Amino acid sequence: MAETPGLRLAPGPHVHAGQTTRAIMWWVTLSLLPAYLWATYLFGVRVLGLTASGVVGAYLGEWLVNRLRQQRQTLRDGSAVLTGVLLVGTLSPGLPLWMPAIGGFMGIVFAKMLFGGLGYNIFNPALVARAFLMACFPLAMTTTWLAPRPGVWWAADAVTTASPLTVLKLEGVARAAELLGLGPAYYGQLLLGFRAGSIGEVSVVLVALGAAVLLRRRILSVYIPLSVLVGTGLVALASDVPLFHLLTGGLWFGAFYMATDYVTAPLLPRAQIIFGLGIGALTGIIRIWGGYPEGICYAILLWNAVTPALNQWFRPKRVAPEAIGV
Amino acid sequence: MSTHEAGISGELRRFLRGGVSLEEHKEATAQTPITTFIPAEVTIPLAQHLGPPAQAIVKRKQVVQRGELIATAEPNGAPVHASVTGTVARVALSPHPTLTEAPAIVITVDPNAAAPQCTDDPAWATLPRDVMLARIEAAGIVGLGGAAFPTYRKLRLPDGVRVDTVVLNGAECEPYLTSDHRLMLESPKDVLRGAWLLAQIIGAQRVVIGVEDNKSDAAVVLQAAVEQLSLSPAPDVLLCRTRYPQGAERQLVEALTGRRIPARGLPLQVGVLVQNVATAIACYQAVRYQQPLLDRVLTVTGPGIGHPMNLRVPIGTLVQDIVAHCGGLDARTAMVIAGGPMMGRALGRLDVPVIKGTGGLLFLRVDDVQREPYGPCISCAACLDACPLGLEPNQISIYTEAGRALETESFGTRECFECGCCAYVCPAERPLVQFIQIAKAAFQTGSAIGLGVRPGVVHG
Ligand code: SF4
Ligand code: SF4
Repeated sequence: MAETPGLRLAPGPHVHAGQTTRAIMWWVTLSLLPAYLWATYLFGVRVLGLTASGVVGAYLGEWLVNRLRQQRQTLRDGSAVLTGVLLVGTLSPGLPLWMPAIGGFMGIVFAKMLFGGLGYNIFNPALVARAFLMACFPLAMTTTWLAPRPGVWWAADAVTTASPLTVLKLEGVARAAELLGLGPAYYGQLLLGFRAGSIGEVSVVLVALGAAVLLRRRILSVYIPLSVLVGTGLVALASDVPLFHLLTGGLWFGAFYMATDYVTAPLLPRAQIIFGLGIGALTGIIRIWGGYPEGICYAILLWNAVTPALNQWFRPKRVAPEAIGV
Repeated sequence: MSTHEAGISGELRRFLRGGVSLEEHKEATAQTPITTFIPAEVTIPLAQHLGPPAQAIVKRKQVVQRGELIATAEPNGAPVHASVTGTVARVALSPHPTLTEAPAIVITVDPNAAAPQCTDDPAWATLPRDVMLARIEAAGIVGLGGAAFPTYRKLRLPDGVRVDTVVLNGAECEPYLTSDHRLMLESPKDVLRGAWLLAQIIGAQRVVIGVEDNKSDAAVVLQAAVEQLSLSPAPDVLLCRTRYPQGAERQLVEALTGRRIPARGLPLQVGVLVQNVATAIACYQAVRYQQPLLDRVLTVTGPGIGHPMNLRVPIGTLVQDIVAHCGGLDARTAMVIAGGPMMGRALGRLDVPVIKGTGGLLFLRVDDVQREPYGPCISCAACLDACPLGLEPNQISIYTEAGRALETESFGTRECFECGCCAYVCPAERPLVQFIQIAKAAFQTGSAIGLGVRPGVVHG
């Protein structure tokens, strides 16, 4: 027998752990299902329409750039779909259906593909997309919160309301406490998610549930999200309503799903803790002393810019001591 | 009997950083005793180790006895012996498992030959060190754990170097492989005598044997043998956590002795000599019976082979003969690997011989090795967690991909021993080890090859 045709000559290792980029992207996407279904239950099927819109925009953006650059299509890795889905998580449920598509498209094209595609981007594409929409459509982005109407799937007469954080910002603590009825019952509702808010964030419990799945599958580690929560919590102590800050806005969604984006977050735990604390603190600062009711989006984007420096400062420690003589 | 009852003391030994937990796949052969297979013809290459190839001293049609010297060693090399009794069919270029083609002596086996006499030297344990060493050198023994470095050279310590501990490697941390496990179970006394003998030769006061805890039965058997033999110093049998690459020198020495070998250094620098269990047995047989290294015990396994087993074969047995003996190949077999699935080397053809350093034969099917094309690094840091040395394979791959291989030194390119943990976990399925090999080659030539070099699968 001479050459045996068809035997492969790949170098080792010849086995693989099985966790692939694509699998990770789909697991993250799937883990959002409970939170998004909950939002659908509260705000109607338009939530699903918005999600589809964001995904289509992101998908088209990636397809188009690959096409124009005449390079291999990269859509199979699932990251464009995830960007679209994540973007919608940060949006208010009353937006026009076409708007997430614009955001997804711009986020993918400018924040990801122009940097060289997956792995090369500095800023989280979903958050750039949100920032873009905020700049272009500020009114729609801040006035289309819907009052939850559980089980009303299809409402022509959706009732807009203010998000809890907006109430806090505009009315001040004392008045907000009166309007919202701050107390254990209200905090319980925030936790479970009977309230107005962005699609991905309404239920803290369901965000935590999705994150727990990812933690279990070792897709996520706790360093970043926990330090974001701690950072915000510490700064919020300076306000009169620290618990309120911990349970509202996109804090949990941002901490577990946005700040943890592999590509735009630092590599090592020590750097991740600094990164997380920084984001958390900045979020609190913007909310309490800044001009916006919510700050996590900009806090994360700002710290994304610090990531390369953190990766330079914190490098793995070599195990082997330096050789001496012999 | 549990390991605790057997008197194996203390907690599990472990190396501190990185590594991966692998699916073991050892069940197919772990309970299968070693059996012997002798083919009709053997092809014995003259180059089987690190160092210069041996010189053939036999001619066509010459009759040779098993154990007879057929090729003499060049300085720093190792001699080669007839592994079977028979007639030299030819001395010619033949396919080789690592060198593509190399000169080899082909011997047709005489099936009726009587087993050769073996001399037992009753005074073996009290021989002077240099006699012991000379017998190991004459036996052509090379490290059987993979590196195939001539053992006598490893035992001849440089001036001024003191070694106080012999570490015997019974970790066998590669998945699928069970031959060391079987050797420890079936010949525990020979393993111990071999280790003790190595300690005598280099003047070490301590012998420790590291066995992964998935083979605790072997540790129990070894411990029982320690008590029966009453060697002095008595070898310590220590259980290690089952985690790849526990059997790598650096990780094993750290786990068993707490000493850390310097970067790119050798165990000698921290006073340790590491040998594999199969090598220890070979050394014992060389010193006591003056028997050369003639056979190789290896695990033939994997979903691609009909009957997985642990085999003892004469060196020079062709892989294709072993395949026929073990029930043939599955039609979907796509890869044949000499060694384990992490660090083993893919063979492009089956007409190559088993050599001294062949640690196993692993047959994998298409579905076991199917891979997506690799993607960009997504900075998940999985490779950083997995690297047992604290290197940065992600950066090495990114720089090398961009044609900047020469700038990767500070990420640890030279230190990497290519264990493959990083590539095993990389979700982008980046061939990180191959990128590192490209970067190392760039250092050698001083040019940034790598620009335009795309790692990938080749079809033989
Ligand atoms: S192959 Fe090299 S870089 Fe990768 S884990 Fe092993 S030692 Fe580290
Ligand atoms: S494991 Fe792969 S994708 Fe993750 S950081 Fe390392 S090289 Fe990049």
